[in-house]
Amino acid sequence: MRTQLASGAVGRAFGDRLILAATIALAIVMVIPMLWAVGLSLKTNQELLVDTQSVLKAPWTLINYYDILIGSGVFRWLLNSIIVSTGMSLGVLVLSSLAGYGFARLEFPGRNVIFVLVLFGLAIPEQAVILVRHQLFSDLDLHNTYAGLMLPGMSAPFGVFLMTQYFKAIPTEIDEAAMLDNASRFKIFWRVLLPMTLPAQATLGIFTFLHAWNDYWWPMVSGTNQQMYTLTVGIASTQQNFAESAGLGYLMAQAVFASLPVLIVYMFFQKYIVRAVSGAAT
Amino acid sequence: MPGIELKNVTKTFGAATVIDNVSLSIRPHEFMVFLGPSGCGKSTLLRMIAGLESVDAGEIWIGDRRVDQLAPGERRVAMVFQHYALYPHMSVRENMSFGLRNVRLPDAEIEKRVDAAAKMLEITHLLDRKPGQISGGQRQRVAIGRAIVKEPHLFLFDEPLSNLDAALRVRTRLEIAQLHQRVDAAMIFVTHDQIEAMTLAHRIVVMNNRKIEQIGTPMEIYSRPATTFVASFVGTPAMNFSPVELSDGPNGFVSARLPDGAIVATRIDKASLPASQSFKLGIRAESLDICPAGQGETVGVAQFVERLGDRTLVYVKLADGATIVAEDAGNSRVAINDQVGVKFDGSEAHLFDDQDRGHHAVLDGSAT
Repeated sequence: MRTQLASGAVGRAFGDRLILAATIALAIVMVIPMLWAVGLSLKTNQELLVDTQSVLKAPWTLINYYDILIGSGVFRWLLNSIIVSTGMSLGVLVLSSLAGYGFARLEFPGRNVIFVLVLFGLAIPEQAVILVRHQLFSDLDLHNTYAGLMLPGMSAPFGVFLMTQYFKAIPTEIDEAAMLDNASRFKIFWRVLLPMTLPAQATLGIFTFLHAWNDYWWPMVSGTNQQMYTLTVGIASTQQNFAESAGLGYLMAQAVFASLPVLIVYMFFQKYIVRAVSGAAT
Repeated sequence: MPGIELKNVTKTFGAATVIDNVSLSIRPHEFMVFLGPSGCGKSTLLRMIAGLESVDAGEIWIGDRRVDQLAPGERRVAMVFQHYALYPHMSVRENMSFGLRNVRLPDAEIEKRVDAAAKMLEITHLLDRKPGQISGGQRQRVAIGRAIVKEPHLFLFDEPLSNLDAALRVRTRLEIAQLHQRVDAAMIFVTHDQIEAMTLAHRIVVMNNRKIEQIGTPMEIYSRPATTFVASFVGTPAMNFSPVELSDGPNGFVSARLPDGAIVATRIDKASLPASQSFKLGIRAESLDICPAGQGETVGVAQFVERLGDRTLVYVKLADGATIVAEDAGNSRVAINDQVGVKFDGSEAHLFDDQDRGHHAVLDGSAT
């Protein structure tokens, strides 16, 4: 018996190590391109024109970052991205929370039908509506405005679904206890239930932020004025041809610069992101 | 301190009637227990009193205030829920003071009440912790504390002990009884556990199938059950029932003849019984003693033997195929398949007529 147990433990330990080794190998595969991009950003464009392998050899330079700081519109684009991503995230959180509370807690005619209609939104790809949306925003004169960049992302069927499920999971006894505690319906939502959904809010907020930050298509379609470029559109605009070889270091420096805010977000909310990806938050 | 009055209260969910024309009076400072099986409507009735369910017909009064149209928070009732229903993101102190802040009580008064309740419940050291950081029993105390600080006219408990382990349940039960002595308010306690009902209640409301079966003190419920449901639901093991034929016994009482021919002399006044009806005899195991075969009113075969330490329960199969539960001493030597006699103490027997009304032994010269 003891031998069996021992061999089982050894087997498990071996399996764990195998998984760990595979994870490390995968992590290296994922990290190398990023390190390569950082390396390229630390070389002059002239050197890289001759040989990109020079990344591995000194000298390294911060000239590309200096050029960004003094010469490019990247700060403006960064600001735009921050405004659009933050605004969209806040909008999604507010709307999804209110809608989720409504679907989970309020009785009203057609509730289930409306909820199903919202869920249908999950199945409609952006490509299917982008022409109509473009026309609509054109008519409303919303192109090249922050509202124009943010509004489409605020209709978030997944957010509504997530928050509805989360509110449903909170026992109604909590609402009832608060009713007996003389709390108004809004107070029950605001002071009692909403704080209990913080894990879901964090998950939804982070994913919305990352999605908005990385979004390329709609900002490119709607924000055609250079002053309204987001980072993704702005950086892409500095690339002259598809297989660009000139200005590679500068391009990579911009890419690194653009990813810094996302990295910072990730560092602060790592716990919630991991939990969300593993499904524990829902 | 006001009493509570329910007048012809009815509740329906769609086509289903879940509370059917219930009327009930609860005296000031009374401890009332709603007892019944799952789905009998006891929790719904409690929630109607709390204001968490609407009243479709009838009235609810607390003192001289009609409350059935008032919001839950305006009724001056406090409720302790089965699953505690504490706010997990607030500390114990915040949980207890939340309701008081909502009615804008001065901070000093809130602090005074919370501290006093915490001291009474011995949870002062937990005041700064969150509910997730304390045990189930402690959470239940916090939930009780949250109710106490409101100084309500009426406490409502919705099966508050069912989530606790056996030992903690007994202790908390005692504490709730002590709490009732300390606070000046009536209490309604909902449970399906007859021991909780018997030990806590001044009076018990036994409910079944959306209606009140009987209201009475624990001993009235136990020894003078109004219906066969009450007789079988309260008491362990459940009361034995058998169809009987009645005949005249001594002193104006009736005797009952069981299907196997055994005659049981009761102390039930014949004059109190309705005429020409079929009757069921009800008798508890404690009134049926195991004796050697041939010495009791009837004889049968022991089918199961349950040894409880202080007494032994013997399931006896009678000649007509019916099984009754009788008692023997703790050190009983009865074994399965033994032939045993059963001695009936008919003075504790009950009769139930075909309207399911209970008729009981004469007490102090008065029949029921």
